[in-house]
Amino acid sequence: MKKIKEIAIYGKGGIGKSTTTSNISAALSDTGYSVMQVGCDPKSDSTNTLTGGKSIPTVLESLRKRRGNLKVEDVVIEGFNGIYCVEAGGPEPGVGCAGRGIITAVEFLKQEDVYEKYSPDIVLYDVLGDVVCGGFAMPIREGVADQVYTVSSADFMAIYAANNLFKGIKKYSTGGGALFSGIIANSISFAAQKEILKDFADQTKSTIAGFVPRSLTVTQAELSGKTTIESDPESTQADVYRELAKAIYNNKEEYVPSPLESDELKNWAGSWSDKLLELKKKDEGEFKI
Amino acid sequence: MKENNGEKCGCKEKSDFGIDLSKKTCPTREQRANGINLFFGKASELLENAKAGNLKCSDRKFQQSGGCLLNFYLAVRVATIRDAAIIFNGPVGCSSTALGFNEYFRLIPPELGRPSDYELHWLTTNLSEDDVVFGAKDKLTKAIIEAEERYSPKAIFILTTCVTGIIGEDIEGTVSEIQKDINATIVPIHCEGVRSRIIQTGYDAFWHAVLKYLVKEPEKRQDDLVNIASMLSYTWQDRLEVQRLLGELGLRVNFIPEFSTVDQLEQLAEAAVTAPICPTFTDYLSKGLYQEFDVPYFMYPNPVGIKNTDNWLRQIGKFTGKEEEVEELIFKEHKKWIPKLKSLKKEFKKLNKVSNDGDKLNLLGSLGQGRLITQLPYFDELGVKASSAMAQDFDELLLDELEEVIENVGDFDIMVNTFQSGEQIHITNKTNPDIALTCPLQGGAWKLNSSVARLHAVRGDPTIQSAQIGYSGSIAYGNFLLQALKNTSYQRIMIEKTGIAYQDWYLNQPDPLYFAEKGVEKGKEKGK
Repeated sequence: MKKIKEIAIYGKGGIGKSTTTSNISAALSDTGYSVMQVGCDPKSDSTNTLTGGKSIPTVLESLRKRRGNLKVEDVVIEGFNGIYCVEAGGPEPGVGCAGRGIITAVEFLKQEDVYEKYSPDIVLYDVLGDVVCGGFAMPIREGVADQVYTVSSADFMAIYAANNLFKGIKKYSTGGGALFSGIIANSISFAAQKEILKDFADQTKSTIAGFVPRSLTVTQAELSGKTTIESDPESTQADVYRELAKAIYNNKEEYVPSPLESDELKNWAGSWSDKLLELKKKDEGEFKI
Repeated sequence: MKENNGEKCGCKEKSDFGIDLSKKTCPTREQRANGINLFFGKASELLENAKAGNLKCSDRKFQQSGGCLLNFYLAVRVATIRDAAIIFNGPVGCSSTALGFNEYFRLIPPELGRPSDYELHWLTTNLSEDDVVFGAKDKLTKAIIEAEERYSPKAIFILTTCVTGIIGEDIEGTVSEIQKDINATIVPIHCEGVRSRIIQTGYDAFWHAVLKYLVKEPEKRQDDLVNIASMLSYTWQDRLEVQRLLGELGLRVNFIPEFSTVDQLEQLAEAAVTAPICPTFTDYLSKGLYQEFDVPYFMYPNPVGIKNTDNWLRQIGKFTGKEEEVEELIFKEHKKWIPKLKSLKKEFKKLNKVSNDGDKLNLLGSLGQGRLITQLPYFDELGVKASSAMAQDFDELLLDELEEVIENVGDFDIMVNTFQSGEQIHITNKTNPDIALTCPLQGGAWKLNSSVARLHAVRGDPTIQSAQIGYSGSIAYGNFLLQALKNTSYQRIMIEKTGIAYQDWYLNQPDPLYFAEKGVEKGKEKGK
């Protein structure tokens, strides 16, 4: 049986996880790999741009209707270029327990030997948030993902989320959990943002897997229900995603990062406030509002 | 109808109670009264620490067993409320103790007053994986409708569980939506097991819900009605004795919660007084009724022992205008019971010579804190001493009373301990009492060369020799203790047939709380 590469991609809400993950999936699939993408977010829209903007039946909703009689074919839907799309699903906002939902859905996929049946070369988990509870840590526990990435912009809130993820990885690393493989720096539009993320990587003894610039092409593709790879394959942005996908597929780096303690993180962020103004001035000239 | 009974009551300031019925539930015992379930030392030391606000609930590194807010008999008891239904809002296992009803109460013959029309109205939402993930509002709504249709109850109690607590079910939201379509009053009780280490929090949560949803504004004051909320460890005979004594005074007892009706709960605010049988079990109700409806209450004494029973009756007499009748009753009862107490005392005195320390019979009592403060003076009446005691938990609710007990009977060792039989055997070995008294809910196989007996029976025991309350109960329990001292065959066989369950290294520790993070901040750590 071939070794399936399982990767979990985390990051703060709205930071571009699903966009990035779907583009990586599309790029890898284009190169000839068999890919499965598993959305782990109650919003269930991780794979939307792979399915022409349509929603697919979620594992949890389907389990709820047909427990014991649910076939994996009902929840593994082929999207763009034959990519296997799965959405874990979850409760409506404000009720139930989304974390338990992720556990239930991932356990179902494992119990049903979904990966063996479909035999993808790579599985990408697109996971909500910053590991707020045991459920959201499920993909990084033993026996699920091998490598973890986090999508982060240079926004400090996104970096805090990345730091929390590092804490989660550190916790599970002793029990055979997933190891970290790099930060995917997203929405980069000026040099200072690169500096901030590089510095954070240095502070936490982690690495940067790639930089993805902010681009209108991505937004346009999203609005038409497609990935950039599908809608604008000739664009520079598509090249960026292809390069990132290749880097991730070949990345052998796996390690335990060193998360900053809460006070350290605050001090570190504080140290950037003056530097940031300076760098931004250098980059763009004086602020104009 | 508001009258100020405060002066007559000697009740504490209402602002000190920590009861706020606009909230959905009570504070935990830890929050309200610095409750702990772990301490070993002198009673005076515990008192001092409690007064200084140094009690702190902490954990054990090794715990043998424990209780759950829902399932430490709260469920069994709420389920007996006659014209109500009970819904366990959780996975099916959380409701299993409802069946304990059968175990606890079936031995009471209807001839002794167990209501023969009682039937168990028990439902569970039987929560499953889907409900945890997606929320369980619909199931609760359906269960409420089902309870209404099946049983037409006057009240529907909803007992919450850890699962609904963890996923944050909005029980009150569901209730307020559906209440208008349901005739029964819906009463949610927040007894999620993970809420508190102190199982009394579950009872406080029950009383909070009763006060919030069921107790009605009084239409009139019923001057002959006495509220008595009793805990499970008083037997059916005790109930009859209370009824007998108050009946002699022309008073009626409003016994709650076992086998009460919803009407009885609704009319709690009309009573003349709320009298304690276990003050810390019922203080939330007593104080709540006083705070909201000016129903006076008292905390001490409980009717255990002759003197305590006298004073308990006198307190009730004060609030019901029966002072003279009480004195007459006491006089009459003493004529009958004091000679029996004297002969008991003589018997105990004979045994003093053969006691372990050759001086005076020594009991090791395993008591609730409420029982502790009333039972020690009773042992004193019998002429035996209790140089050590165990309490299930301890908090700041009875400090004046504990201080008084220490003054009257002297200082003693106290271990606060909820169901840790290892720790209890440790202190039992060390104390080497003439008789070790254990809670029947507590289990544990004691092996002593002397004797062992149960400290109390539970409500479902209807036999006369198990009584403990009032005059007849004080004599009955004295006789029971005497028998246990004379007949040691149980202990002899235990020692012959079985070994001790704990290893020497533990039993040799100077501190029985070897596994504990200490219950109070002490200057130096004992043991280790």
